[in-house]
Amino acid sequence: VAVQYFARTRELVGLCSETSVPQQITSLQLWEEITKIHPRLVVIWDQVVFAVQQEYVLLGDQLLILQPRDKVAIIPPISGG
Amino acid sequence: MDESADMPKDFIKLKSEKLSVDEVSEIVISPYYGAVSLFIGTTRNNFEGKKVIHLEYEAYTSMAETKIKKICRDVRQKWPSVKHIAVHHRLGVVPVTEASVIIAVSSPHRAESLEAVTYCINTLKASVPIWKKEIYEDEYSWKENKECFWANSEK
Repeated sequence: VAVQYFARTRELVGLCSETSVPQQITSLQLWEEITKIHPRLVVIWDQVVFAVQQEYVLLGDQLLILQPRDKVAIIPPISGG
Repeated sequence: MDESADMPKDFIKLKSEKLSVDEVSEIVISPYYGAVSLFIGTTRNNFEGKKVIHLEYEAYTSMAETKIKKICRDVRQKWPSVKHIAVHHRLGVVPVTEASVIIAVSSPHRAESLEAVTYCINTLKASVPIWKKEIYEDEYSWKENKECFWANSEK
């Protein structure tokens, strides 16, 4: 499953996207997997949500069942408009 | 006069070129409806005493378009008489005084379009995955909308 990074998270990680996460996982576990690979993201754990298939998901117990082509993104606080 | 030929439309654009108020107004104007309301968000030259050189916008484009389409659907549910809706947001560098977002709504009378425009910009700021980086002389800052429910404003 490809994970995309935007804005501040992209700067912390140093790239835009990668493929590396398990397919059945809670959103909090997903965050933990990602921060193992990119420890610099830990500092913003309380300010991000995921977007899974373009829907926002909070970091928590929600079980995600991810298909290989699903899109996951890390979303720092938004500032459009 | 065949009003049914002028079907309600949503015009959504995310682009790096300069936005045009004329263009956005013209696309929502309808010969059958009398009100067009507009919101323009422009770049300020200062923030908390610091000089802003310019803004840079970035978006999760496909999801941003999906979220803006949802805002348009919600507008039509809340204000069924609304005719056309246009949301243009600029991406990339936006110099001071230039527009980063223009929202226009047409409707038979002014109340609906004024309320719909307000709803659009407020909901955009709360839900659309677009990010703004403010560039100062010596540093920069990723901004966070207070409407964003996952922003931690009391750090």
